[in-house]
Amino acid sequence: MNKILLIIQREYFSRVKKKSFIVMTFLTPLLIAGVYALIGFFAYKGIKDTHDKVAIVSANKTLTEKLSSNQNVSYVYIDKSLDQAKKDLSKADYDYILYLPEFSLAAPKGVELFGAKQPGMSLNRRISGDIEELIRTQKLKESGISQTDLDKLKTTVDISTKKIAETGKEEESSAGASTFIAFTAGVLMFMFIMMYGIQVMRGVIEEKTNRIIEVIVSSVKPFQLMMGKIVGIALVGLTQFMLWIVLTLAISTAAVSLFTNKEDIKEITASTQAQTQISGANQMTSAAPQGPVADIQKSLAGLDVGKIIVVFLFFFLGGYLFYSALYAAIGSAVDSETETQQFMLPVMLPLLLGYALSLSVVTNDPYGSTAFWLSMIPFTSPIAMVVRIPYGVPGWELALSMAILAVGFVATVWIAGRIYRVGILMYGKKTTFKEMFKWFTYKN
Amino acid sequence: MLSVKNIVKQYATHRALNDVSLEVEKGKIFGLLGPNGAGKTSLIRIITQITAPDSGEVFFNGERLNANHISQIGYLPEERGLYKKMEIGEQVLYLSKLKGLHTSEATKRIKYWFEKLEMKDWWNKKVEDLSKGMQQKVQFVATILHQPELIILDEPFSGFDPVNADIIKNEILELNKNGATFIFSTHRMESVEELCDNIALINKSKKILDGAVDEIKNAYRNNAYWIEYEGDYETASNDIYEVLQTEKVKNHTLVKLQLKPNRVANEALSQLLPHANIHRLDEVIPTMNDIFIEKVKGQNHE
Repeated sequence: MNKILLIIQREYFSRVKKKSFIVMTFLTPLLIAGVYALIGFFAYKGIKDTHDKVAIVSANKTLTEKLSSNQNVSYVYIDKSLDQAKKDLSKADYDYILYLPEFSLAAPKGVELFGAKQPGMSLNRRISGDIEELIRTQKLKESGISQTDLDKLKTTVDISTKKIAETGKEEESSAGASTFIAFTAGVLMFMFIMMYGIQVMRGVIEEKTNRIIEVIVSSVKPFQLMMGKIVGIALVGLTQFMLWIVLTLAISTAAVSLFTNKEDIKEITASTQAQTQISGANQMTSAAPQGPVADIQKSLAGLDVGKIIVVFLFFFLGGYLFYSALYAAIGSAVDSETETQQFMLPVMLPLLLGYALSLSVVTNDPYGSTAFWLSMIPFTSPIAMVVRIPYGVPGWELALSMAILAVGFVATVWIAGRIYRVGILMYGKKTTFKEMFKWFTYKN
Repeated sequence: MLSVKNIVKQYATHRALNDVSLEVEKGKIFGLLGPNGAGKTSLIRIITQITAPDSGEVFFNGERLNANHISQIGYLPEERGLYKKMEIGEQVLYLSKLKGLHTSEATKRIKYWFEKLEMKDWWNKKVEDLSKGMQQKVQFVATILHQPELIILDEPFSGFDPVNADIIKNEILELNKNGATFIFSTHRMESVEELCDNIALINKSKKILDGAVDEIKNAYRNNAYWIEYEGDYETASNDIYEVLQTEKVKNHTLVKLQLKPNRVANEALSQLLPHANIHRLDEVIPTMNDIFIEKVKGQNHE
């Protein structure tokens, strides 16, 4: 037991002390924060950019209602001839000229848009939408409906989703926040299992090609060495995970507070809110990051964050143990990393499949039978379960999945151990699956 | 101190060890000889408990081999290496702690050995910065640091330059004088004659010969002699001896004679004395190499 501890120590400290670990640990949160800042920047810039100034030259007497600016387009009526307006375009403070000719409300034709740059599809759609809206309002008024009645016609419906917990208590929840957390957890899980599983494999190959393996297995049992390595690297993973959470929180908090000092943010928030009412929640997520962040913060109260983190850690450890044992077996069977491909595929495939299905099928239908089975099979359950958990998973399903995963990793560790003890001492032979099976059946 | 009894080890279709037994006496240097692939490494891996035999038993100081013996055995494998990125001092410390030494004791001993073998400044170096010979010195230190009763060295001198090989050889002899028992595994016979007290010869998974080096050599004497005399007199086979070989060097003649059964060297000399001035008579003593080749070839022809 003492020896396993020594091995864990060495595996842990030799990795944690590495420059690459330190750089990765501190750089990744910065990178993540950087990416978010970049997205925020472009979203903000996007809003500014799409906020086009349109000068209206109107020769229309029929249309009495006037176009009013909104958060996408600001309209200015100018008192110039079309030709003059065109001439002034290059030095004027408007981007486009909208020409409204005389037309009947029944068949509005001949509307033209001029600009120094080609107006985008979305601008085109927005302006035509605004004009259509305007004509509709005027038609309604002409048929005797008053402005107050018109205002009454406008209604906004906000659906607030509530989930009824097993206890019967209603919980505030948000599909957006759940999906966001599900995606993040799924991607993280996939990344972690892959990254650290491959580290285990590399470690095994290193010991084998270094030829230090035989010295070490004359002091400790191969199984102890394998487990020591797996556990040591798991601790490295947990350390990195914790540091990332702490650092990411610290950096993003700092960034957000820095950001909110600027005047701009108010503008964005205001326009985002306005936009939310018009274009719905879908665009909101893509347009401005503040929206979902605030949203998440609001509905985090509804999600049991503690439970999500505990479940994530359990499935990370379980999934990692499950896969890293297989990676260790692969590492023991080859002489160099280039030979690993043929064995990597069957190990990668279920993980990739689980990843792809979890982020598509499971997030769409977190209670369906695909989601259920994916979160039961230990090859896919680590990812599928953390994706499902923000939406809520019945307690018995969670318990069953955990139990199956536990049995699963005991089994893979056992199988891997039997292949490993033979594999590490085999050199110069190209290993096949048949050979690995033979190793598995060897006595001692 | 070590008895190996009727060990059988089977790998799928290949039988690596077939009923091998041998005894290693305490305080002796034991040579485990055999061509490549004979089963030496398989046997060593059983003694070091890396693998277990299919049948047969190993006793260490009269006890059945068990996990407690791991700390009493030091093993330098033929294919040996170190962690490339780890500092030398830390690395040896790690390896000796795996053998059960405490940090303080291990550090003390590492310092002693590093000083003794002129590698004082190596503590903070990395393996990548050392030559192959230097690495082997480090490995040697790591093998003996926990003061094992039994030290097993697989091809210990391969890769050493003559100077370092000599240093290591002297350390081995000193450790042996202080009571350590050695097992040498090698297919290079020169080192055996010089160092080993006893040997066992393994070929094709079987032990084909064992015993004290002197006795084996004696047993393989076959009454052949080299005789050198002045002049170019040529002798022919007769009822006392058979001429195996004749060489002429300047005005001397060198003949190799094989005595017939129950004849002695004196009789051969009296045959020659009337014809030439005898300068020298040497018994042809087979080297371990000769015996090795003879035995291995003999078995391969069976």
